[in-house]
Amino acid sequence: MFFTDHELNFKGYNNRFMENKVKIKIDGLSFSYGEHPVLNNITARFSENTITAIVGPSGKGKTTFLMTLNRLWESIPEARIEGKVEIRFSDRFYNIYEPSYPLPRLRRLVGMVFQVPNPLPMSIYKNVGFPLKLAGLKDRNHISMKVETALKRAFLWEEVKDRLTDDALALSGGQQQRLCIARALILEPEILLLDEPTSSLDAGAGAVIEELLLSLKSRCTLLMVSHYLDQLKRIADTVMELSEGKFISGFAGDEKNIPPIPAAREGEK
Amino acid sequence: MNRVLEKSVTGFSWICAMVLLGTVFCIVGYLLIKGLGTINITLIFGETDPKDALFFRKQVFDGLFPAILGTFALVVLSVSFAIPIGFAAGIYMAEYCRGIVKRIFSLFFDILAGIPSIVVGLFGFSVAIFLHNYFSSRIYPCLLISALSLAFLVLPYLIRTTQVSLENLPEDIRRTAPALGATKLQNIFHVLIPRSLSGIASGVILSIGRCAEDTAVIMLTGVVATAGVPKSVFSNYEALPFYIYYISSQYSDKQKLLSGYGAAIILLVICGLLFAIAFFIKHRLTYHVLYRP
Repeated sequence: MFFTDHELNFKGYNNRFMENKVKIKIDGLSFSYGEHPVLNNITARFSENTITAIVGPSGKGKTTFLMTLNRLWESIPEARIEGKVEIRFSDRFYNIYEPSYPLPRLRRLVGMVFQVPNPLPMSIYKNVGFPLKLAGLKDRNHISMKVETALKRAFLWEEVKDRLTDDALALSGGQQQRLCIARALILEPEILLLDEPTSSLDAGAGAVIEELLLSLKSRCTLLMVSHYLDQLKRIADTVMELSEGKFISGFAGDEKNIPPIPAAREGEK
Repeated sequence: MNRVLEKSVTGFSWICAMVLLGTVFCIVGYLLIKGLGTINITLIFGETDPKDALFFRKQVFDGLFPAILGTFALVVLSVSFAIPIGFAAGIYMAEYCRGIVKRIFSLFFDILAGIPSIVVGLFGFSVAIFLHNYFSSRIYPCLLISALSLAFLVLPYLIRTTQVSLENLPEDIRRTAPALGATKLQNIFHVLIPRSLSGIASGVILSIGRCAEDTAVIMLTGVVATAGVPKSVFSNYEALPFYIYYISSQYSDKQKLLSGYGAAIILLVICGLLFAIAFFIKHRLTYHVLYRP
C-alpha cells in the first residue's frame, strides 16, 4: 500500500486516497540547477481526477516541480535530477524517466498550461489543431471535429466559432489562456499541469477558467500552481505547500482554516 | 546638471541619426542629379532594338543590358547557394552545437566574416586555375566560380543572423511546442524558425546587397568589360559594379563617365527590387506557414 508512508500522513489527504486511485507516484525526487538545489528528496502521491494546488514562496521550485512530471526541464543546461517519477497510464505504472519511454508520447499524455498565455502567431484553428499536426494526423474532418470538441471543453467555442481563421493573438488574455487549455486538451491528456493559469488575467477571466478547471476534473488529474488563497478554497481538493525543496504540509482544499501561505521562507533554517 | 546630460544625449543621438539620413539623401540625390539625364533606352539597350534584346535574338553591344542581367544572375545564383548552407549552419549553431565546439566554430565564422573580399576573389581565381589544370581545361573563371566565391563571402552574415535570431527567442516560446509533444526538430521547423523569420530575412537582404555591390571578388573570378549576355554559368559575364569601376577609371569622354552614374542608379534600383522580392517571399512564407486556414 502506498498510503502507509509517514510522509503522506497529512490531514484530509489520506481520506482522498481511499476514494481515488493513485495517478502519480513520486519517490525520492531531487532536482538541482548546477550547484543550486531546488527540490530535495520529495516523496508524494497524487490521486486521479482531483485538483491539487501547489503553493509556496516564489522562486522555490513550484514550476520546476511541474516540469519534472513532463520532463520539460530537460532543455535547461546543467539541470540534474534524481529519484523516480511514475505515472499510471491505462492501469500500469510507467517510470517516465526510463530512456525507452518516448518523450513526445509522455508530453501528449501530460499536458501543460503556462502562466502567460502562449498562443502561437497563427489562426485560432491552427493553434488548437497544432498538436495534432505534430502528432502526424492528416485527416481534415477528424482534425476539425477534434478542434471543435477541444474548444467546447475549454468554454471557448461559442466565442470563436465564427472567426476560427482569425489571428489567435487578437483574442483577449482570458480567451488566449482558454485557447491554450483547449490546445492542451485536444490531445486528451490524462494529466494537466497548470502553472498559475489565472495570475496574468483579471478576476472575471480568472473565474471562467476556475469553472473550466472544475469541469475538467472528471477527465484529467490536475496539478496547479497558484498564489490565490480564495482560488484554492474554491477549486482545490488538496493543497500542498512546497518550501525549501520539500512539501512541508498538505491539507484538503475545502477546509476552512487554511493557514496563511508564508510569503517567503528564505531566512529560516 | 543631470537634466542637461539627459537632454544632450538625446540631442546627440538625434543629430547622429540626421547626419546618417542626410548622407544617404546626399548620395542618392547626387547620383540622381548626375545620372538621371543619361538613363534612357539607349543606355540600356544601345543600338539594338529592345524587343530583340529582351528575347535574346540579338546581342547588345553598346548598352548596360548584359551587365544588368549579369548582376541579376550573379546575385540570385550566389544567394541561392548561400541560403541553404547559411541557414543550416545557423540552426546547427543555435540549437545543436554546444560547449567548446561552439566556441571554436564561432571563432572561425568571425574570421570568415573578416576576410577581405579581394582575398576571397583570389581564392576563387586559384580554385578556377586549379580546376582548369587538373580537372578539365574547359573550366576558367566564370559566372559559377564568381557566384560560389560570393556565396562564401556572405555565408557568415547568414549564419550569424540565423543563429542570433534563433538564440534570442525567449524560453517560453521554446517550451510551447515541446509541451505539446513536439520533437526537437518539429519545434525548430514549426515554431522557432517561423518566429525568427524577420531576423533571418534581414540577413538575406544584407547578403543580397553585398553580392550586388562586390567588385573585388568578381574582378578576379570572371567578370569582363564586354561579354554580352552570359550564355551559361560557365561563361564570362558583365556586371554593373564592375562597369561602374571600369568606366570611372578609364572613361574616354564626359558622356561615358555620366553613363557610369546611370549604371549606379540602375544598380540601386536592382538592389531595391531584390529586397522587395525578399520581403515578399518572407511575407508569403509567414502567411503560408502560420495563417493559411
